[in-house]
Amino acid sequence: MAIILTLVRKDIATFLRNRAAVVVTFLVPIVLIYIFGWVFGLNQKDTGPTDIRLAIVNASTNPAAQKLVDALKADPAFHVITTTDNPDKIKRPLTEEDLRPQIRDGWYRFAVVIPADVVSTDRIGLHLKILSDPRNDIEAQTVNGLLQKTIFSNVPELLGQSLQARAKQFLGDSRFNKFNHSIADTVATAFGGDPAKIQRTIESGSFGLDRITPPAKPADPSLRRLDNGAPAPATTPNPATPAAKPAPATAQDFFSRLVKIDSEQIVGKSVKSPAATRMVGGWAIMFLLFAVSGGAAAFFDEANTGVFQRILSAPVSRAQLLWSRFLYGVLLGLFQLMIIFVVGQMMYGIDVFGHLGNLIAVSVAAASACSAFGMLIAALAPNATAASGLSTLVVMVMSATGGAWFPMSFMPEFMQTIGKFTLVYWSMEGFLQVLWAERTFVELLPILGILTGITLVVMTVAIWRLKKKQIFA
Amino acid sequence: MLSLRSVTKRYGALTALDGVSLDIAHGEFFGLLGPNGAGKSTLMSLAAGLRAPDAGALTLDSVVITPADPAARSALGLVPQSIALFQELSAEQNLHTFGRLYGLRGAVLRERIDEALTAVGLADRRHDPVKNYSGGMQRRLNLIAALLHRPKLLLCDEPTVGVDPQSRNAIFDFLEQRNREGLTIIYSTHYMEEATRLCSRIGIIDHGKIHALGTLDELLTRLPFDEEIVFPATPVTAPLAAELGAHGALTTLEGRHHFQAATGFKLSAFYARTEAHGLSPQLFTAARPSLEAVFLHLTGRNLRE
Ligand SMILES: Nc1ncnc2c1ncn2[C@@H]1O[C@H](COP(=O)(O)OP(=O)(O)OP(=O)(O)O)[C@@H](O)[C@H]1O
Ligand SMILES: [Mg+2]
Repeated sequence: MAIILTLVRKDIATFLRNRAAVVVTFLVPIVLIYIFGWVFGLNQKDTGPTDIRLAIVNASTNPAAQKLVDALKADPAFHVITTTDNPDKIKRPLTEEDLRPQIRDGWYRFAVVIPADVVSTDRIGLHLKILSDPRNDIEAQTVNGLLQKTIFSNVPELLGQSLQARAKQFLGDSRFNKFNHSIADTVATAFGGDPAKIQRTIESGSFGLDRITPPAKPADPSLRRLDNGAPAPATTPNPATPAAKPAPATAQDFFSRLVKIDSEQIVGKSVKSPAATRMVGGWAIMFLLFAVSGGAAAFFDEANTGVFQRILSAPVSRAQLLWSRFLYGVLLGLFQLMIIFVVGQMMYGIDVFGHLGNLIAVSVAAASACSAFGMLIAALAPNATAASGLSTLVVMVMSATGGAWFPMSFMPEFMQTIGKFTLVYWSMEGFLQVLWAERTFVELLPILGILTGITLVVMTVAIWRLKKKQIFA
Repeated sequence: MLSLRSVTKRYGALTALDGVSLDIAHGEFFGLLGPNGAGKSTLMSLAAGLRAPDAGALTLDSVVITPADPAARSALGLVPQSIALFQELSAEQNLHTFGRLYGLRGAVLRERIDEALTAVGLADRRHDPVKNYSGGMQRRLNLIAALLHRPKLLLCDEPTVGVDPQSRNAIFDFLEQRNREGLTIIYSTHYMEEATRLCSRIGIIDHGKIHALGTLDELLTRLPFDEEIVFPATPVTAPLAAELGAHGALTTLEGRHHFQAATGFKLSAFYARTEAHGLSPQLFTAARPSLEAVFLHLTGRNLRE
């Protein structure tokens, strides 16, 4: 053991002397996690994008439409533009004709048109036009999501009017009238009140929604974009999750339920940032693989420079040399994972210290599997260049199929099946089980067992190949 | 001390060592002289227990050397042909690591590191990473890294490649000093001068076989002549060279003819001919035959080809 520790110590000293390796191992993943967290709005201190320039043309006289405009104006995410300069420098309201050229000229990249027929009779829902020059899909989805949310949460009566108008067209005037009348009667009989007044309220489309407080902002600012198709959704299907609790009384109405779907899934859970957990875990495992396969390249350096010969001409066995490499990989990986998770705690409030014991257990198992993978790369590749090429390829494929980049459920069935054979999948599963599902150690045993099994199998193959390879002399 | 019995080593179809038998005595400074690809490094790696022979056996003080028995290796030190050091680490860290692999610890290890660094003039650079060292400094460190644990037998595989004459002399002095103190050394080289200067006994190896074995004088007497005459290979001397072929062995190396007289061909007869061709006696030097000549004679090859 003293010999193995001496060799591990040497590896660590070598690693620390190599500033580029240290930066790639620790700093790069942290920076990427920060950047991606920011892009996907996971950053706690940051409440998402602000001051996105948004042009609005309101051609409707419906008071609810004006309410929508006001709500968008009040949203810090948008900087609303409703006027434009004439050539003679006099401001005038924007018209729909202004929008296209101005978008093309890059004055703003999004515009909403509320047409005169915002509530029409021939379809359910609102008739809104959104013009955009999105720089990318994520941005477009984000803005769409923000708009929808503002509509849902601030002007439910617009949607109510829309439903009413549609019902009226469908049922015909008199039957529609009768329908509303009988509902108003029923409500009045059951709860008391003036049937005529109730009927007028129903016809205004508000269903009394205006008296209900608009849905609270979701607890996690990330949700407001996560629920609109950001690439790292908060949740994975998980048997441990209790079924969504019934919505609280104030959220009985259909529309606020729509908005609240995602937040309900985490009600009662202490996990502040499940999306961040997934993302941090994913990046961590991918960079761990990169770090460890960087070790595979170092292996070739030592073999080629004759350092192996010198080590093995000392009273050191080949097995000791190989296991020292493996152990070094485990320690490096463990250390890297811990740093990344601690940073995850600082940036996104992932509860690392609350699950420290189990997290270390899973991290040791994951780091072992990754280290064994590095050994296998060294065993299979003919030289250092091939080793780094091969490992880059395999790491990318494993990370993609194993769910490090986005949830497995985003992928076609067969890819999901492939993914389950990767150590990335089981490591991710382990992290999520600890940090998200908050499993106990005993419940984690199957995953720990699988990761250990992967380690043993991969190590056996790697050692067998390395011994055949004559890398030693 | 070290003994090889009919040792054969193959790499696939290539036989790198072909039934080599050799005994190295305690305190010897043994030279292994051979051209590129002769099998020197292969012999070293077998002696160091890095590989197992395909046939035959090696023993160190009657303990069999094999890769399977790491303990047997603690009595020997290997200076690999390449610079076998951790380039990112300092000289001190390197020596510390290698010392610990031999079980050295604490004050003893520190003392030995100081001693070794001082002996080869690296004490003041001990904290610099090895990659910032000159080639000669790396070579010196490569050498002392094999000696911290005070082995009985030192295997030096071409330890002076790429070293300037000054550093080379420092290494020679260092090794000679250690040899005087009782260290047994096997030194492989393809430099004649090195073997001549350092080694008490020399083995000439080529194509995996030892062709000749003995002290410098013993090897020289194997030559079938006791006088070698060297003269420039120019158009002026060409007619003489053409005649000499009938009276002994004439070889041409680096623009010079080397003439070894056949028995019975007298020096006086030689000079009579030079006069007949009108060549000045100053053109001719009578040199002691060199190891190179021995090698040439035995293998028909130039050592440095
Ligand atoms: N690992 C190996 N695999 C295959 N062939 C090898 C291997 N190592 C050496 N050889 C071959 O064995 C022969 C002897 O090589 P060796 O390295 O022992 O020669 P050497 O005398 O040390 O030469 P040099 O002076 O160039 O160092 C050469 O033909 C070489 O190509
Ligand atoms: Mg060699």
